[in-house]
Amino acid sequence: MNTKNTLKTTAALLGLGLLLTGCAQDGANATGAAASESPATQASSLQASETWAKAAQTGMTAAFGVLHNAGSTDIELAKVEDQAGNVIQIHETTGTGTDAKMSQLDGALKIEAGKDAVLEPGGTHLMYMDLKAPLVASETASLTLSFSDGSSTEVPFEVRNFTGAKESYENHGGMDHGSMDHESMNHDG
Amino acid sequence: MLLGTSAAAALGGVLAGFGTSQAVAGPATAAAPAQQGPQYLPFHGKYQSGILDAPQAHAVFVGWNLNWRDGGKKDQLRSLLKMITDDAQRLTAGRGVLADTEAEMAAGPSDLTLTVGVGQSLLDVMGGAKVGTLPGFAGDKLHKRYGQSDLLIQFCGQDPTVLAHAVRAVSKNLRGLADKQFIQRGFMHQRGSGDTFRNLFGQVDGVNNPQGETRELAVFGTPDQPSWIANGTTLALRRFEMDLEGWDEVATSGRDFALGRRQSDGSPLTGSVPEDPVDLDAVNEVGLPVIGANSHVALAMPRSAQEAIHRRGYNFVDVEASGLLFASYQRDPATSFIPLQRRLAEADLLNTWLTPRGSALYAILPGIEPGMYLGQQLLG
Ligand code: HEM
Ligand SMILES: [Cu+2]
Repeated sequence: MNTKNTLKTTAALLGLGLLLTGCAQDGANATGAAASESPATQASSLQASETWAKAAQTGMTAAFGVLHNAGSTDIELAKVEDQAGNVIQIHETTGTGTDAKMSQLDGALKIEAGKDAVLEPGGTHLMYMDLKAPLVASETASLTLSFSDGSSTEVPFEVRNFTGAKESYENHGGMDHGSMDHESMNHDG
Repeated sequence: MLLGTSAAAALGGVLAGFGTSQAVAGPATAAAPAQQGPQYLPFHGKYQSGILDAPQAHAVFVGWNLNWRDGGKKDQLRSLLKMITDDAQRLTAGRGVLADTEAEMAAGPSDLTLTVGVGQSLLDVMGGAKVGTLPGFAGDKLHKRYGQSDLLIQFCGQDPTVLAHAVRAVSKNLRGLADKQFIQRGFMHQRGSGDTFRNLFGQVDGVNNPQGETRELAVFGTPDQPSWIANGTTLALRRFEMDLEGWDEVATSGRDFALGRRQSDGSPLTGSVPEDPVDLDAVNEVGLPVIGANSHVALAMPRSAQEAIHRRGYNFVDVEASGLLFASYQRDPATSFIPLQRRLAEADLLNTWLTPRGSALYAILPGIEPGMYLGQQLLG
């Protein structure tokens, strides 16, 4: 998984940073490379938009956004890492209401050609298991998304205040909170 | 900051309308926008929106003070301004901000504008530029909470629900990073009534506001003589309580004399329609000035092009008080707003029914192109 073949993309992303997230107004919502070059890697098919992470001091927190597969073949998000060496898992939510549980996805997150994976509170999300340093609102967290073909790309996630998903991450550990809120869903992480 | 001679001449030419003989067509018609429904106003451009535009029906002025963390203040301010920029471009386009839990409320064109300014405290962090703070004025009975803050955002729009969401969304994103010092809500007539509105004294307000190119010059100056930064300007925000009970006791003639214009239609006492010139030299049968020297318009009238300001104030009604959220944009407050306000504070006949409660001055950041953030011209 060490083959970083997306240097160009990464540089562009770092340079443009947050501002791309604001451009979706005119339809340019991509923070990934378009799948124009061939042979296309999975990473180059990714267009990430509306990406944000929940501010937190310590412990667990999560990142969200829309991952669009602009390519013509399916892609599989296999691994998420960052510079700080945080453990970041791909979580899914199963069941509804009081039975809803969040757990680590079995295997990779598959995004079909032309489709979106929507990462959102109460649904699939990228979960920081135990922050090594605070995620401060207004700053940008950069995540390296690696795919099953070994390609990877770096995506900026804007850190924002979000109280909606707070309790669940604090109460991580499989306790039953008996609430329908996303924030009190069980984590079987 | 003084105007060079050439720039002053340029301003002077365009500002001819400020003399006692206003020759040009009436201000009320000059910049009246074509009648159309609310839109999504552009966020990007040479200047920030919400300044030269016809005033929207509703406004919320929110002041924040920053909470600094360890580490460089410049970096913290930069990321905060990036976030506000992102919020503003989303909201003005009818979209929720990132992490918005009520993005639905952002939808619908409402002429929403967010106009961002910083106090001298933040300008110091950005390095260099000076706009200063407002001095005290005669008669000030200020409430601390309506005083100077680090950061100011003027939210304006036609729809109070969309506006409330915008204020809330930005406030949520700033939670922890900054504390709200004040939130001041104002209202005026709907768009379509031109730039004038009835203030709570019942007066037609805004008649002699500079229009068109004159307004642009008064607010942003010229490339040779810009404001504190090219395409930026300053905002003076003063909160005036009105003694409406006392005002009730004043006869129409007394009201009109205190202002120098008629309450009925806004026409000057030296004319018959609002557009007629305010003639300070005119005298009546017994040789007394028709417009008293201490009337509001006599004292407020710019003495030179450098004194010109663009007023964009709003009425307010609170539980405790009502009045005017006076807001004016000007190139250089030291040559315009401050001397003007001094003159008024010392002698204006309207002062009998006015109590200044708030006073603050902001450096309004220059406009930006897509891909930039507000303040980037200073923070790099
Ligand atoms: C609650 C306080 C105030 C009220 C109710 C008020 C009301 C008015 C009204 C009704 C007019 C006449 C119509 C017009 O030309 O817009 C006027 C004119 C004006 N006011 Fe005020 N005003 C207030 C405070 C101020 C302050 C603080 C300033 C500046 C420091 C100011 C500056 C001006 C100027 C420049 C004019 C235009 C004068 C001219 O060239 O004819 N006003 N104001
Ligand atoms: Cu989770």
